[in-house]
Amino acid sequence: MNDTEDTSGFPALGRAMLWVDKPGSATKIFRALAVLCVFVFAAGFAVDMHGHFAVESFGGFYAIYGFVMFTGLILVAKALRVIIKRREDYYGDKAIDREDYPEDQLEKLRYDD
Amino acid sequence: MMTDFPTAFLFFAAGLTLLALPQGRARSILSLIVPILAGWQIWTLPEGALWQVTFFGLELELMRVDRLSRVFGLIFSLAAFLGNLYAWHVRDAVQQVAALLYAGAAIGAVFAGDLIALFFYWEGTAIASVFLIWARRTEGAYHTGMRYLIVQIASGVILLAGAALYWRETGSLAFETMTLGSPGTWLIFLSFGIKAAFPLLHNWLQDSYPAATVTGTVILSAFTTKLAIYALARGFAGTEILIYIGVVMTLFPIFFAEIENDLRRVLAYSLNNQLGFMVVGIGIGTEMALNGTAAHAFAHILYKALLFMSVGAVLYRTGTSKASELGGLYRTMPKTAIFCLVGAASISAFPLFSGFVTKALVLDEAASAHYKWVWAALVFASAGVLSHSGIKIPFFTFFAHDSGLRPKEAPTHMLWAMGITAALCVLIGIFPAPLYAILPYEVDFHPYTSGHVIGQLQLLLFALLAFGFLMRTGIHPPELRAINLDTDWIYRRAGPWLIARVVAIVSTIWGAVAGAVTSAIRGLIAHFYRSHGPEGRIAHIWPTGSMVLWLAVMLGVTLLVVYTT
Repeated sequence: MNDTEDTSGFPALGRAMLWVDKPGSATKIFRALAVLCVFVFAAGFAVDMHGHFAVESFGGFYAIYGFVMFTGLILVAKALRVIIKRREDYYGDKAIDREDYPEDQLEKLRYDD
Repeated sequence: MMTDFPTAFLFFAAGLTLLALPQGRARSILSLIVPILAGWQIWTLPEGALWQVTFFGLELELMRVDRLSRVFGLIFSLAAFLGNLYAWHVRDAVQQVAALLYAGAAIGAVFAGDLIALFFYWEGTAIASVFLIWARRTEGAYHTGMRYLIVQIASGVILLAGAALYWRETGSLAFETMTLGSPGTWLIFLSFGIKAAFPLLHNWLQDSYPAATVTGTVILSAFTTKLAIYALARGFAGTEILIYIGVVMTLFPIFFAEIENDLRRVLAYSLNNQLGFMVVGIGIGTEMALNGTAAHAFAHILYKALLFMSVGAVLYRTGTSKASELGGLYRTMPKTAIFCLVGAASISAFPLFSGFVTKALVLDEAASAHYKWVWAALVFASAGVLSHSGIKIPFFTFFAHDSGLRPKEAPTHMLWAMGITAALCVLIGIFPAPLYAILPYEVDFHPYTSGHVIGQLQLLLFALLAFGFLMRTGIHPPELRAINLDTDWIYRRAGPWLIARVVAIVSTIWGAVAGAVTSAIRGLIAHFYRSHGPEGRIAHIWPTGSMVLWLAVMLGVTLLVVYTT
């Protein structure tokens, strides 16, 4: 974020959310998430999960499954990208990926316009 | 009075009326009133077969109202209203008429009681909807629209062929539950499968939806695929193969969505993944599973439209929907950002949002029928939904690195459309009972048990934690200006390449054969020219002399013939 930028013209709601870009905010959010995770992990053992399968009776099943599978998904997707990624003009000039959206159908305005 | 005509006709009449109105507010207002009237009509109609017409000796059933068709009719009307509200600013008659006819055809198809009426409306959705792509009026959109149209029309033609065979097999054209097995039912199944974007038949969806106009994509996202879901639920409930098709549908798009740059295409992949959950529900085929499919379709149309609306608003203000070009827009588009987050939370099925109370129906049915691997795959796919629709869309558009873009907030009517849709997503999530009440069968299900809530929160929060971890370690793949191959490669690269090769080979052979024949004929002509031409040997003899000689020979032969016979 540009520190010298004048943000006074931003919508109030946008200004209120600016703290997410303050230095250190991302770490705070991550830590808060980690605390939440610890809490729901513990909660899994406190409540009756009464699932249909044996694995569900382990209170932390969904947590571990979510973390592992999500990580696996990202890694596989990353590997997939190596195989299937192509330049934007791969299908030639008559593909929408190469075109700009027609200006006359847009209303491109800056916040201070 | 309202039972006097099929709901679809209301939209068709409005499409014609719209052209008679002056361009401006009057047309936008008409586009909003019609879906309200349609929704009210569907709500008040009694159940039963209400409207028949005879067509070339066939009795067509145009208004078959029951609980299954009603819930789809209602959500289609609601989606048409929200889409048209979002498109309030559009002053393009092509798009306005196309949106009305498209919604009308989709609603008509839902209430079609026989396969022929279904076919007409099925093709109607194809023809009307392509104009929402062509209305972008660029060469790329024209070509994409053509590909879309070919696939959609093909689906209709296959449906008609299937209907004809089915009629020969059973003597009936009624659109009721069928059993897969005969050629006719397989063709009908294939036709539905194309529109439902089954794996390998799916790519028309990701190819075409990002090519439509800002508002066109929002409208497209609601109808075609959910019409196919309705048709599958009506025709093939309990067909086991659908469970496995559905599982593959939930899985493969999440990998593609993760690395796709165009956010509207990410949403198209995500749409495909959500259809998978509905298809699994149809495959299981129990009353609760079909409830789950209908409920999920209802909730999905809303949150998917909401996500397309928010990305569309960004496109409308910045001119791009590519993740690599966006980021940090929450500063000046905070309302759009919050609506997008509501859509993201709904599709990710966070408790208190709509996806939670509807997806659980399908998951719970898969689990209670003890489809262990199906269930495990669906839970994984739920974490996958979070990755692209829950995180990627809002995060890389409105947060993440600052793109430096400072666009103005979305126009008021778009904010209203997004606000109403977001409110519905939250209301369904908190108070699922009214939605459960309009489902095809009696619902006895409580989504908010401590086990469900904690399990879902564990899944989602730990997936989020994994995302945070991967972002902070730099493992998460960056957003790049690039495209990814999918099955459209077959007809956009391999097909044309193959045809070019065949053309080259055939023209080489043709050239060689034609050349050989030509030179042979030339040689023959030259040969005769040498002997019979003006300089030829034959030309040297004085012709009268040789003629008299040959005449004498002929007379001699005649004489001989006459004497001997």
